[in-house]
Amino acid sequence: MTGPDPIRDEDLIAFHSGTLGKEAHDALSARIAADPDARATLAEWDRQDAALAALYGPVAKEPLPEQLRATLDAAAPPPRRPPARLLAAAFALLAIGATAGWFAAGVMRSPAAPAFAIADDALRAHVTYVAEIAHPVEVAADQADHLVQWLSKRLGRDIKAPDFAAEGFLLMGGRLLPGAESPAALFMYEDDTGRRLTLYALPEGGAENSAFQFLSSGETQGFYWHDAGLSYAVIGDLDRARLRTIALAAYDQLI
Amino acid sequence: MNLLDEIEAAIPSLRRYAHALMRDRDGADDLVQDSLERALSRRHLWRGEGPVRAWMFRILLNLHRDGLRQAPRRHLVAIESLPKEPAIPARQEAHMDLREVQVAIGRLPDDQRRALLLVALEGMSLAEAAALLDIPEGTLVSRLGRARAALREKTGRTAPHKKEGRA
Repeated sequence: MTGPDPIRDEDLIAFHSGTLGKEAHDALSARIAADPDARATLAEWDRQDAALAALYGPVAKEPLPEQLRATLDAAAPPPRRPPARLLAAAFALLAIGATAGWFAAGVMRSPAAPAFAIADDALRAHVTYVAEIAHPVEVAADQADHLVQWLSKRLGRDIKAPDFAAEGFLLMGGRLLPGAESPAALFMYEDDTGRRLTLYALPEGGAENSAFQFLSSGETQGFYWHDAGLSYAVIGDLDRARLRTIALAAYDQLI
Repeated sequence: MNLLDEIEAAIPSLRRYAHALMRDRDGADDLVQDSLERALSRRHLWRGEGPVRAWMFRILLNLHRDGLRQAPRRHLVAIESLPKEPAIPARQEAHMDLREVQVAIGRLPDDQRRALLLVALEGMSLAEAAALLDIPEGTLVSRLGRARAALREKTGRTAPHKKEGRA
């Protein structure tokens, strides 16, 4: 409408980025409507944007690569009591192989590699007994005192069954399990929807105290750590944040 | 949302941007990893000015520039040997060969590629992108113009020759 002056690309770019004020936008719209070249250019830019979105958009929907995930987790607020330097150093993201058991995925940053054994054992115990309908536990929660005394005696350590009621999980009971050097204890908990989680405890005199380490195998995930001569693992089919809260509660109560 | 959550929330778009910028997946994820580590190590210095995403992009852009300065060939990959990045959907973009676009993006000068991807891929406003790149908006606009024209030409969709060149 203002004559044959071609619309400058600068103006088209501002128009295309949608950052013009309403007045300027409307004025330019009118000129663009009368300018087939400008319309073709804008359409071409739309196609460029669509091509870029098609090429690279999917990357943003991928799950984070493990190394990034582990770096983020290592930066998460630490539990209150573990030594800070260990926490900073040791937060490994583990993955389980479909056939070969545990292995480190990506860069293994933790100094606590020997902890694989407990993760493996705890996961196997979890999978075995959580699915059990008739006999999920050897000693039921109505004999909790007896259970705790018995397990403490067999493990040679004072063991407690932490209380996860605040997280909606109640103690079902526990059982004794074989371990490499000493028997291990398994406590099982259930929430009001029937979801179960387990706490595994194994005396391991040589193990150093460590920060929480994450483990996962499909939907089943958990955290494990060493503290004062015992290795622990909390495992369940829960999301990571809830499991972390529960593991922290266990940590606080078991110390 | 705390700072750490916001940092995490920014990562998918940082990855998208880095993958478009670098073209090889390992280099791109290395760049994002380095950016994340730098952000985490500086987070106590972050004063809450502006969006976390912009701060993260600024870190990434700095690292990208530094990386090119220190090791200009580190992540160069022969265009022909590039994997086809995603499985390419041949739908409404049928009239635009994505492979050609990918190659053309890779051949843009770095400053144009950085600018174009901020706006065209990340959807940033001209003001945001100019601030991130530390350039005046006018400079950004002419970079975008050159980048878009080059892309158009390199994908065989030359613009009608009715205008005089801008730069």
